Amino acid sequence: MADVSLRNVSKAFGDTQAIDDLNVTIKDGEFVVLLGPTGAGKTTTLRLIAGLERPDNGSILIGGRDVTKLEPAMRDVAFVFQQYSLYPHLTVYENLAFPLRSPSRNFTEDQIKARVAEIAKLVRIDHKLENKSTKLSGGEMQRVAIGRALVRKPSIYLMDEPLSSLDAKLRGDLRLELKRIQSELFSTLLYVTHDQIEAMTMADRIGILAEGRLVQIGTPREIYTQPANLHVAARLGQPAINILPAGLLPADAAPAGTKTIGARTEHLTIEKATNGHADGTVDWVEHLGDQNHLHVTVKDRKLVTLAEPDTAFAKGDTVTIRFNEPLYFDGAGNRIAG
Amino acid sequence: MQDMTSGKPVVTDTTSTILDRAAEAAARATPDTLAKKVRGLSDRMVAWIFIAPTIVLLLAINIFPLIWAIQLSFTNYRANRPNEEIKNVGLQNYSRILNDADTWMAMQATAHFVFWTILLQTLIGFSLAYLIDRKFRGHAFWTTIILVPMMLSPAVVGNFWRFLYEPQIGLFTYIVSFFTGIPTTDILMLSSVKLAPWAIIIVDTWMWTPYVMLICLAGLRSIPDYIYEAAEVDRASNWRQFWSITLPMALPFIMLAVLFRGIENFKMFDMVNLLTGGGPGSTTEVASITLKREAFEKWRTGFSSAFAIILFVAVFGLANIYVKVLNRVKSR
Repeated sequence: MADVSLRNVSKAFGDTQAIDDLNVTIKDGEFVVLLGPTGAGKTTTLRLIAGLERPDNGSILIGGRDVTKLEPAMRDVAFVFQQYSLYPHLTVYENLAFPLRSPSRNFTEDQIKARVAEIAKLVRIDHKLENKSTKLSGGEMQRVAIGRALVRKPSIYLMDEPLSSLDAKLRGDLRLELKRIQSELFSTLLYVTHDQIEAMTMADRIGILAEGRLVQIGTPREIYTQPANLHVAARLGQPAINILPAGLLPADAAPAGTKTIGARTEHLTIEKATNGHADGTVDWVEHLGDQNHLHVTVKDRKLVTLAEPDTAFAKGDTVTIRFNEPLYFDGAGNRIAG
Repeated sequence: MQDMTSGKPVVTDTTSTILDRAAEAAARATPDTLAKKVRGLSDRMVAWIFIAPTIVLLLAINIFPLIWAIQLSFTNYRANRPNEEIKNVGLQNYSRILNDADTWMAMQATAHFVFWTILLQTLIGFSLAYLIDRKFRGHAFWTTIILVPMMLSPAVVGNFWRFLYEPQIGLFTYIVSFFTGIPTTDILMLSSVKLAPWAIIIVDTWMWTPYVMLICLAGLRSIPDYIYEAAEVDRASNWRQFWSITLPMALPFIMLAVLFRGIENFKMFDMVNLLTGGGPGSTTEVASITLKREAFEKWRTGFSSAFAIILFVAVFGLANIYVKVLNRVKSR
């Protein structure tokens, strides 16, 4: 295990600037999640570290060693692809043993056997070692793919949306397993996703990527409570943060220069209107079972917030809305610390 | 809507009326089918009318001659003497063929031809496909160039190579002589007992390697890039990637190409007939040439029918075994 740094890395594909002057350091034993929409440069970042792409500018350091010009094989990384990239004609056992059979590694057959058994147990596939990899379910295939990465002890594990092609239940299970495995092995892991829940639940630190730039990096809590700008604020939270123009609702505590106010559920106090004064009208109550989404219209704006499952609100109710320490943003969209 | 255990209908009155009404509405909404318009013919009948010409042709051209040939193979019928009495000779034709040294020679010549053409075409075809798959500059252009021989008619190819093989004026002989120093008059590609079998192998390989290449290329292109990338990160050398990814994953395609070429070359006739006509002597007399000689030079129709049936069964049987193996490889 080792720390990994990207220094001023840029990469363009034709006219598209995939990565633009990226600086990031992943510390030894850290689980970092890169979060961003499609085309933000997440996968390219991983491929650059693995050596499957070469940067146009900048350098990549693994454990203090400059690997910018090295072949993938010489970088000592492990990669889990978004697709099930198993070797289809090999058994689960042979797939897991494949990286260990490289002549440069000099493992004996007994060592390989022991290591594969250990990892198979870890990713819970030990009961299917003799199966052909094509005869597995999607979840099993991806567990084998993760296992094939874990079977080595590389400087860093790189994972490219490994759970995105699985169904919701399996994704939840594997998310927990992956976090458990990572903390057991104390491995350095860079994980790419566009799923905010994966990012929030697994990451030691989250890096928010947008258009090839690192917008903000920090603990999930920091990213959630102190987003650097509107873009970051909008990436996290369910339902999504409400972006409202300043002045729509009374906000006495707003610092000077506030143009936009970002309000999550916890930033809003909603009560039924009394004595004729009202800020908005309940548009719709969306029943999700364990909770409700409350859709409220304020003048020409719509606002979505959470409500208790036994909420007393009904469609057509007039309500008063008060901010409770919301997020303030200036004209450029950057957050004003308040 | 039947109760599965008791078999009694469990439809209540209301549901059945609803279903009836729905069926009526559906019937009203459905326009008259073509069948109804064509004077009350059923859909099935119309379907038969459409496929009938094909079936009639198939019966007339393939099935009927096959059955007739089977029947003739048990007789001493000669097509050039239609008035002679046809005698049933039982299995005599078959036993004569299987005990005849000449037919075994023909089978050997065929086996030699099939074996070497398949081996060369597979090796060269796969190598070419592997190179083309590297996607170097202008690979599309070279693919087209390589495919040209395959697009020519076998008759053209046969005549064209007869010129190339000419001892006096042939380009092929000239080039071979230029590099080896052997005088052109000693390179008798088509009339030397030793060289003639190789002459036809060379031409067939020249013509059909592109076909094998095309199928192999399809196989190579079907291997996703990320498998190679995974292997690269896993520190597999190019050599290991080839043996553990490329070859096993392209194998079903290679086998398919071998099957197609094998069946084709087992019944090879046109090109060999044009190049050597089975000669010199009978050194390049592959099975189909023997068949033609028996049937249309010696006019032993019954005998040649039996030979044709034997060939058919052999190819059919071998191809079937091969397809079974192929399926097993594919399902690995």
